[in-house]
Amino acid sequence: MGHAYQAVGWNRQKKIYDGVLLGAILLYLGGFLGLGFATHPDATFETMLIRALGTGALLLLHVILSIGPLCRLDRRFLPLLYNRRHLGVAMFILALGHGTLSTIQFHAFGDLHPLVSLLVSNTRFDNLAQFPFQPLGFFALIILALMATTSHDFWLSILSAPVWKALHMLVYVAYALIVMHVVLGVLQTETSLWLSGALGAGVLWVFGLHIVAGRREVRVDLTPAGVEANSYVDVCALQDIPEKRAKVVSIDGERVAVFRYDGRVSALSNPCQHQNGPLGEGCIRDGLVTCPWHGYQYRPDSGASPEPFTEKVPTFKVKVEEGRVLVQSNPQPAGTRVEPATFNAEEIDV
Amino acid sequence: MSDPKQEFYVGYLPQAPHGLGRFLKAGILMLLLGTVVAAAILSMAQSPYSKAKFEFGVSSILEGRIEELPFPTLMVPREGGGDSRYLLTVFGKKGADEAVAGFAGKRVRVRGTLIYHDQLTMVELGPAAIEVLAPATAEPDASDGTVAGGGAWTQTGAGVERSLIGEIVDSKCYLGVMKPGNLKTHRACATRCISGGVPPVLMVRDEHGLATYFLLTSSSGGSVGRQIVDRGLVAEPVRISGEVVRFGDLLVLKADPETYQRLD
Ligand code: HEM
Ligand code: FES
Repeated sequence: MGHAYQAVGWNRQKKIYDGVLLGAILLYLGGFLGLGFATHPDATFETMLIRALGTGALLLLHVILSIGPLCRLDRRFLPLLYNRRHLGVAMFILALGHGTLSTIQFHAFGDLHPLVSLLVSNTRFDNLAQFPFQPLGFFALIILALMATTSHDFWLSILSAPVWKALHMLVYVAYALIVMHVVLGVLQTETSLWLSGALGAGVLWVFGLHIVAGRREVRVDLTPAGVEANSYVDVCALQDIPEKRAKVVSIDGERVAVFRYDGRVSALSNPCQHQNGPLGEGCIRDGLVTCPWHGYQYRPDSGASPEPFTEKVPTFKVKVEEGRVLVQSNPQPAGTRVEPATFNAEEIDV
Repeated sequence: MSDPKQEFYVGYLPQAPHGLGRFLKAGILMLLLGTVVAAAILSMAQSPYSKAKFEFGVSSILEGRIEELPFPTLMVPREGGGDSRYLLTVFGKKGADEAVAGFAGKRVRVRGTLIYHDQLTMVELGPAAIEVLAPATAEPDASDGTVAGGGAWTQTGAGVERSLIGEIVDSKCYLGVMKPGNLKTHRACATRCISGGVPPVLMVRDEHGLATYFLLTSSSGGSVGRQIVDRGLVAEPVRISGEVVRFGDLLVLKADPETYQRLD
């Protein structure tokens, strides 16, 4: 957390994670080259390698883009999210290999600088089928490079969270560029329906998953807006919140995580200070609200991280009346201690 | 916490909860399986690669006579009489004009790497790959090794007017240095090669898919590479009408590049 970036270190889970990632990448590249040459003995090595790296990177990007919505739909996928950064960096390395080899192969040793050649060697902007596809890959690679280099938490604090998050939302721009790079590039010359079918299925999968997961979010946000300032809003029944867990509710457009623990109820602003993870999908561990994404912790009553950490989220005043949970519509400044609402065991069964 | 859906994973703890661990193990197996399936589908679904050949890393030695106009070539005597005409190139996206300067019309020994496809052969020269030989005694000789015929190609028979539809490719990549060496994915590379002086070729396929290759020159036999690049006519269908002339093994299509037509 905020203080010691190396605190997490290389524990067993991280090693398993990276081991599986590396193994899968090597399996893919080896499988692609092996089966590719077995079925295409006339192939050239450079083309086969460029294709293995390009498709490998795009496949990995599909995995990366699936993690967010999958975790929303089924929390058992959360372990994938924890080290998502490693997936991103690995994907960038594959894409960089593909882009570098392509730039050498198609643009180096000529009469122009390779990067100039990359941008000017095809000028058919007037025709979709002939439209230059390599610059699309190049711009995508620049986005991926920015994301990979700033992926460490160190940069999160330097850039400030909103800038960092905006930068990392560009992954969707990169994805769109890469899809067009493939559609306007290799799919103009490769005719197998397996290839266009695979890309189509991938795009549908990413879209579909985001829509399904997004729907759930929208349901939370659909609660009526326009509440009076300082009024208490009835958000749910006490038994809607499992013990040591939270329910995410929307109050006047803002998401609030309402936790129940040890006969008490506390409400915090839902977005985690680290990377906007949904605190309300986390749980109470050792008396602290624990973010499901990377495990940042906050005191439920004050929204402040325990010493020595300094993260703070806004808190909300809460009341429990006849088994209903009431949350005040306006937040308290981040880190403000609010007395938790208490209730008797009987109220749960009201 | 026996229901894995209720178990809570914290990445910085050494061990994942038990039920979740089982879910993850199954997930990892699925992932590895999916990886193999994806690699198989994507690698096996590639179109066939051409039979073109670049003997990368293999050096051959050839003897013959350099003829440099309109394109640098080596005339290699054939066993049954006559000559084979091999196109010459150098490393990179570059023509061999500089490399053969001063050798026109001379009998030489060259060291290089063979590139061949269908009826065309090319030799990629290494650095300082050309060595002048003493003229064979039977030939009308000049003391510097120059033999009769000079540096220009000798036309075989009369030319004919033709109008041909095909794709402009760069001879080097298409003959085998790159696969695929034509169409859109190769367009930028072909543009650089032709811009750098690699001989441009019109590839024309007949109804059986068999390819015939026509080296492209202007009506007067000059280079047309610059105009082809400036007009962006590489790697897509074009129609060229002009005079087809045979030079031994090779066909040349002479036409003013301003008259090449793009067929969209
Ligand atoms: C400098 C940047 C890039 C350049 C110059 C470039 C160039 C190319 C070229 C020339 C091809 C066609 C190769 C062929 O004939 O098969 C291609 C295909 C492809 N590219 Fe890129 N690319 C770049 C960046 C990217 C990035 C960032 C991705 C992201 C994953 C990517 C993914 C792909 C894929 C999946 C294919 C289809 C498979 C293949 O043909 O290799 N490319 N790229
Ligand atoms: S978002 Fe990373 S710990 Fe909450």
